[in-house]
Amino acid sequence: MAGGSVSECKEYLFKVLVIGELGVGKTSIIKRYVHQLFSQHYRATIGVDFALKVLNWDSKTLVRLQLWDIAGQERFGNMTRVYYKEAVGAFIVFDITRGSTFEAVSKWKHDLDTKVKLANGNPIPSVLLANKCDQKKDGSNNSSLMDNFCKEAGFLGWFETSAKENINVDEAARFLVENILLNDKGLPYEENNGDKIKLDHQTALAESKSGCC
Amino acid sequence: MAAEDLPSQFDVVILGTGLTESVIAAACSRVGQSVLHLDRRNYYAGNWASFTFNGLLSWIEEYKNQQELQITESEQEWRSLIEDGEEAVPLNSVDSSISNLEVFCYASEEEEQEEETKDLLTCPNAETVSEETNSDSTETQDTVTSDDVTESNVKVQNEENEDSAPKEQLHASDISEHSQSVEEKQPNRSPADPPAELQKKITYQKLLKEGRRFNIDLVSKLMYSRGALVDLLIKSNVSRYAEFKNIGRILTCRNGKVEQVPCSRADVFASKQLTVVEKRMLMKFLTFCLDFEQHPEEYQDYSEKPFSEFLKNKKLTENLQDFVLLSIAMVTQQTLTEEGLKATQHFLRCLGRYGNTPFLFPLYGLGEIPQCFCRMCAVFGGIYCLRHSVQCLVVDKESNKVKAVIDTRGQKIGCSHFVVEDSYIREEQRESIDYRQISRAVLITDRSVLPSESDQQISLVTVPPVESSGPAVRMVELCSSSMTCMPGTCLVHLTCSSSGTAQQDLAPVVSQLFHIPTTPGEDPSEGTGEISKPAVLWVMYFNMRDTSAMDSSCYSLPSNVHVCTGPDAGLGSDYSIKLAESVFHCLLPDEEFCPPAPNPEDIIYDGDAPQAEGRGFDESNDTEANKSQAEEEGTTNETNPENSEAAEMDSVAQETTLDTNPPSEE
Repeated sequence: MAGGSVSECKEYLFKVLVIGELGVGKTSIIKRYVHQLFSQHYRATIGVDFALKVLNWDSKTLVRLQLWDIAGQERFGNMTRVYYKEAVGAFIVFDITRGSTFEAVSKWKHDLDTKVKLANGNPIPSVLLANKCDQKKDGSNNSSLMDNFCKEAGFLGWFETSAKENINVDEAARFLVENILLNDKGLPYEENNGDKIKLDHQTALAESKSGCC
Repeated sequence: MAAEDLPSQFDVVILGTGLTESVIAAACSRVGQSVLHLDRRNYYAGNWASFTFNGLLSWIEEYKNQQELQITESEQEWRSLIEDGEEAVPLNSVDSSISNLEVFCYASEEEEQEEETKDLLTCPNAETVSEETNSDSTETQDTVTSDDVTESNVKVQNEENEDSAPKEQLHASDISEHSQSVEEKQPNRSPADPPAELQKKITYQKLLKEGRRFNIDLVSKLMYSRGALVDLLIKSNVSRYAEFKNIGRILTCRNGKVEQVPCSRADVFASKQLTVVEKRMLMKFLTFCLDFEQHPEEYQDYSEKPFSEFLKNKKLTENLQDFVLLSIAMVTQQTLTEEGLKATQHFLRCLGRYGNTPFLFPLYGLGEIPQCFCRMCAVFGGIYCLRHSVQCLVVDKESNKVKAVIDTRGQKIGCSHFVVEDSYIREEQRESIDYRQISRAVLITDRSVLPSESDQQISLVTVPPVESSGPAVRMVELCSSSMTCMPGTCLVHLTCSSSGTAQQDLAPVVSQLFHIPTTPGEDPSEGTGEISKPAVLWVMYFNMRDTSAMDSSCYSLPSNVHVCTGPDAGLGSDYSIKLAESVFHCLLPDEEFCPPAPNPEDIIYDGDAPQAEGRGFDESNDTEANKSQAEEEGTTNETNPENSEAAEMDSVAQETTLDTNPPSEE
């Protein structure tokens, strides 16, 4: 999904999935990250596939990050292939105050790994987010337990996040993008399918008038 | 992923995720209807689905099991939910639209020797990301992946060395009989064979191992570049979910020889098979067809006569008559002149929009398309449940309308309209059970039927009837860059209207065009002078019911039940799209069909601009257009069935569509 270079500045387009159980705060994380906003009064996600964030990664790198939220229906776990297709990274989110959402993490991870893979057959990089850390009741520290869990389940790492208090959201995204970029450099970029066609209004308008005869 | 109760009321309940149903779902959801979209299978797209190789083996296994299954019904559970004044109309629990399934494997069974080196060789050429398709969908979400299961469980009929020549095997009657009797055999070839030879050969193990690179469609169709499907994809913005490849060439098979059909001006002039006189004749004729309505005098006398006779009268050589009739108009000897002219004109008008032929094919297979529409439906609030069906309809006796459905979990769900795919309808609700059939064959081969400079071309091959009575066969040969097969193979789809079983209809064409090894993994050089033909590694035959001729008069169902027939035998999908549009207008006569969805890429948030905060809510920045957008979104929200849970499904959407001042990209 990497874009070509334009005058030394390399531009990337990355599709990142945000998945997890109902009510864990996927959408608030996206919203906090992309809009710098958090609202307690939410309405249902209607009409848009993903939120786009443009990152000036460094002087030579521009990253366009597409964050794909699960649309309303997909809480039943029946995502279309369109959702997973060509994703290069994922956040799996659970709610720190609800144990059941953590138990579902492995299921989501398995689902993710069976549905999308990197070209070399490896799973796509994924980061675990322990959301709503502002509501943490005790001061307990499960850090080493979480580290072990991530290692076993194949996560790159984990972050305690709070969309509400804006804790670690940027950090987690930066961490994931770093790893996606590493992957991207590891894979030779080859446009072996240069004759792919996108259908859109522009091509429809600008289409060649040259018929057959 | 947890199983939860569904909302108890929807505007529209749709059963079946084939193309027509999915388009209706997207269209309804787009204009604010609450949609529940179900499928009894655990994958999307029904008979329009595409599978990885391993996924297809699971599908075959499932078919086999279903043939053996004794249907036991327990009606008691839902009986109690039927109240006074209500009547229950039960639906089919089994799909019988597929029949005569046969599978033969000709790839060598030997163990892969060179896996490591091969992987290193193939990986850098692969696409950035590839994925498991609906294949794993044929597995439960929380059990083992399809790879684990299929490799160990599925038995595929295998050509054996000793007793059975392929011809005899081809008369096999039922897969279930055979796969029980024929177990997977141990490799016949010694593993000590030279590695160089193994490098070239694709074994059955390799097909399984690279199975996820396959996307094998049950339905084989192409998209006319000015057909109803392409127009709808563009109009609705659903096209953004998919990418396409142009069909590179149109081939035909005459006198056992495969040759290219010249169809564009450039092709005609470059053609080596045509004489100068023929070139001129063909150009003149095609130019006439492009606006034939302007010259009624040219064809008036033939309006009651077949197109083939008209072509003869036009003094086209036999060569050219065949080209026009079979490969350009793609009609039969009996098709009337005007219809033939229209078909030729449609073909010509589609030329040049995206390439040298009139056709496109979606990357990852045709099964992508219904899923694109499902995603659109979901994004606008539609709820999806796979492996979840409807047991019966609850009909109000007085109005004779469906008021609710009872799902397979015993929940009664109210709805104003019910849209259902044909195969869910029982025979009791049909006026006639005399179906047409489509014959299909799917082959994995080792190279193209007409090798050329580029091995990455998609070809449409029109094959005239082998015997004069037989059907004309349409063949589509896909290359690995279409993301439907592994590198080093071609995926070949054969389709025709059935006159017998798929195998009876299509096996003669397969043996005409391909080399069928006498032993699995046979070296082409050992063959009998058939080296020039591609070798078949694996082949599957099946029949699919063609219900496209049915209309509402064929069913005795309440007036707010809308039946969607399955895929037709035609090359394009216009039939299914037009059906979807007419059902939609029946449901919602005053609404627009699939207006463009907002494009999220148009809204950009600059990562280094904290001042962007709050901007999305600043109404004073709004243009009129965006205000009406906002209003529309607002009404959509009210009809959205999830309200208490809405807290989760927050609206990135709302704010993004409201933001009218996307900061510049720099």
